[in-house]
Amino acid sequence: MPEAANRFLDPAVLAEIAGLDLIAKTVVDGFIAGLHRSPDFGFSQEFAEYRAYTPGDDLRHVDWNVFARTEKAYLKRYRGETNTSVMVLLDASASMGFRSGAVRKFDYSKFLASALVYLAHLQRDSAGLIVFHDDVADFIRPSGRQGQLMRLLHAIDNAQLGKRTDFRRPFFELGQFLKRRGIAILISDFFENPDTIVRTVEPLRFRGSELILFHVLDPEEIEPQLGEAALLLDMETDEALEASPDYARTEYREKIAAHIQDLRSKAQAAGIEYFLLRTDRPLDEALREYFTIRQGRI
Amino acid sequence: MGFFSPWFLAGIAAIGLPLWLHLLRQYKRAPRPFSSLMFFERRVQSSVKHRRLRYLLLLSMRMALLVLLALAFANPFVNRAAAAATRRKLTIVAVDRSFSMRYGDRMRDAKAQAHRVLNALPGRQLAQVIALDSRIENLTQPENDRNILSAAIDSIQPNDRASSFGEFVRALRVMDQTTNTRLEAHLIGDMQKTSMPPDFRDLQLGPRTALTLHVIGNRNAPNWAVETVTVPARIYNPSQTRLTATIAGWQTPAASREVSLVLDNRVIASKNVSVPASGRAQVEFLSFDVPYGAHKGEIRIAPRDNLPDDDAFPFSVERSDPRKVLFLYAGGRAREAFYYKTAIDSASDTGLVVQIAPVEQAASFDFSKFAFVVLNDVGDLDTPTARGLCAYVSGGGAALITLGPDTLAVGRVPLSADRIAPGYETQGVGSVDNQDPALLGVGRFDNVQFSGTLRLSPKPGARVIAKFADGSPLLVEESMGEGRILIFASTLDNETSDFPLHSSFLPFVAQTGRYLAGGEETPSSVTAGTPVVLRRARAQSAAADVIGPDGKHELSLRDASQALTFDLDRNGFYEVQRANGRRLLMAVHADRRESDLTTADAETLALWRNTGNTAVEPSPGSVDRETRPSSLWRYAMLLVLISAVMESVFASRYLKEERQTA
Repeated sequence: MPEAANRFLDPAVLAEIAGLDLIAKTVVDGFIAGLHRSPDFGFSQEFAEYRAYTPGDDLRHVDWNVFARTEKAYLKRYRGETNTSVMVLLDASASMGFRSGAVRKFDYSKFLASALVYLAHLQRDSAGLIVFHDDVADFIRPSGRQGQLMRLLHAIDNAQLGKRTDFRRPFFELGQFLKRRGIAILISDFFENPDTIVRTVEPLRFRGSELILFHVLDPEEIEPQLGEAALLLDMETDEALEASPDYARTEYREKIAAHIQDLRSKAQAAGIEYFLLRTDRPLDEALREYFTIRQGRI
Repeated sequence: MGFFSPWFLAGIAAIGLPLWLHLLRQYKRAPRPFSSLMFFERRVQSSVKHRRLRYLLLLSMRMALLVLLALAFANPFVNRAAAAATRRKLTIVAVDRSFSMRYGDRMRDAKAQAHRVLNALPGRQLAQVIALDSRIENLTQPENDRNILSAAIDSIQPNDRASSFGEFVRALRVMDQTTNTRLEAHLIGDMQKTSMPPDFRDLQLGPRTALTLHVIGNRNAPNWAVETVTVPARIYNPSQTRLTATIAGWQTPAASREVSLVLDNRVIASKNVSVPASGRAQVEFLSFDVPYGAHKGEIRIAPRDNLPDDDAFPFSVERSDPRKVLFLYAGGRAREAFYYKTAIDSASDTGLVVQIAPVEQAASFDFSKFAFVVLNDVGDLDTPTARGLCAYVSGGGAALITLGPDTLAVGRVPLSADRIAPGYETQGVGSVDNQDPALLGVGRFDNVQFSGTLRLSPKPGARVIAKFADGSPLLVEESMGEGRILIFASTLDNETSDFPLHSSFLPFVAQTGRYLAGGEETPSSVTAGTPVVLRRARAQSAAADVIGPDGKHELSLRDASQALTFDLDRNGFYEVQRANGRRLLMAVHADRRESDLTTADAETLALWRNTGNTAVEPSPGSVDRETRPSSLWRYAMLLVLISAVMESVFASRYLKEERQTA
């Protein structure tokens, strides 16, 4: 990826841009420019597969050349016709407000969500949004209608941090709305037991939906640097606890690494894609992950 | 090592403050938000383990700062061997030049002895020559140049002052305390018994001072002298003149002496008197004629002895007519002067006569012709009179102001403008300062009752000489230019008090009269060393003048225009012209304690020597063993300063780090 394009994917640079629509456009355009491909690659114009004609199909889509050679009627299907539904679930719990650098985890997650819905918009996928913490704060049904992108971006922009995280309730409600197979993208810091997380989100997978977990963490959360003993205050529970630099340097790191590994392995075991995102890393890695998943669904 | 002020060491307890700052206060930081504590564990161990001291270097600097500060205030000292100090030795050669050294060849012998002491010193030995009388005069600085020291010894001449061993020892003690030097003092003189201080403790020498006494002359040299002469300084009536002289002999056999009264170098009377062995005899000269003016008088005895200067006693005497006192009264109250005039006339030795006049006529008088002016409850003065009186008093005149109902009506004292207010209806006298020259010898005002008293508010600097029973001033002296005012907070008649009817009234009037007329300032003779007042204030620009016994002017130009006093320190007659123009003839005689040539006994002198360091030439070993406390507070304060600077450097560095961390 060229440096110029990559520069616009730096979270610190994005944080200085006002307006999520512009951020999303900047991220996606920069990302695609790095791929050296057209943003319309393959979508709707590119041949995907043949399907046997069944009564009721539109005759306009019959490939008459094949019929001439084989005397069998096949319908020609294009990629654009494989449109899917993308549902972005954005965690707005208080812990997402943490930051050690220029960007909060929540802001980073907003950038990512914006970029994803924008990318979905380009691919003519219907996109939806759920903002949640211990309850569903905002919900926009997946749709490919005109103005959906702006609704989504506006909802992401207006999302506010709540208090605690509770995956069960939002995913229960998501299950009520998400009847159609599609891609569910869960963006969270996942400060929860991996078993609980996987058990909560797994039912979506059973319905044939693809599920992607974007695990957003601040570098300080992975490798905390405590120069001295500090009194830490839990942003969700307001619980205070004295932490020593030694503990933060040794046991904590082991525990968070074990948590990440546990979540990764359990997610993969459940057929859920898992991707760890550090807020000091460019967004293209996340987009590439999504893109790979999206291609797999064609 | 020890501490001069050990109780300040309690301040070391203050090191708990930095400990608290570094251990506890640092630990209590603002909570730091963190996304989730699910991977942290609550452990007691972590709490305790991390309550550790931070910034150990800064902590140690702060603790050191407090400890050193407490140490500095505790004033630590170490006992150092004073060898280095005591190896430096200063030899003091003190030569007595008091009046008694005029006896025979004592001064020559003393100088010869001083030279011998000087010559016996090692070549590089520091020495200092001082001269002793009632004061100490350093004739040289510490020197090792023998020529300078010898010249200083040769320059010493006897004078007419008395010697004071107390003053000599005080000077040695000051040198002992202020110089880090071993002192070896040689006192060369006749060691008169009369030069010893009343309290033997005044002879205590310093710890590093060794004293050697060189006694010059006979232990018990006989001497006759005219010890005292009593004669009034002013004679108004020669028929009442009386002069009394005391002839004394010390260590002398019974003998007859011819006593002569000399006036202006002319013997006007002589008498023979038998003086008992080592005793005294009195001679009286009565009704001798003294011409008008100031005269130089002497009482001489013959034959003369080896100390001829005390065989004559100079005195001054002035023949004059009685001086006038102007008594001013408010119109229609002429009888108020009756008691005052009667009292003055009764005390003939005052040399005063009273002239009575109503205050309305005051402007027509030339006040300078009067010894002083009495303003007896005159109320408010008209402007020409007030102006004339102010000029008169400021120029060296005097006034007695009495206060009564008329002055109270005005509310202010004439001339001084002090405020007055009504006081108690009737009260007596509380206290009287009988040592004040204005009331010297007057006694108490027993049983005197004042009615309708006034409460006087004198100026700052005024001297309250007598008080009413309620503490308010009764008699106050105030200065006005070169002159003075006595303010009496009652009248001098029997209208407001019964004072004129009491026996204390006459001496009060006589003494205040003498005082205001200036009679007390010119005694017939003063002891050598007595200062004479040349001016009351330096602002008085007119020149003063003093002509000494040898006829030479004693004052430099600067002193003539600025000096307030002049010490009359030579036997003979001084002509003094004060800045206010008044001329005085002052007779000066040597202190007659010097005439008693009896030497202090040997035991006393030995005791005196032993009060100091008796080891004149200390052995090397004893020098090294000698220790003295040496204070270390300067070093402690230096370390405090260094610690403070380092603490500032470290603190600013850590503060910067903390800000960056935050």
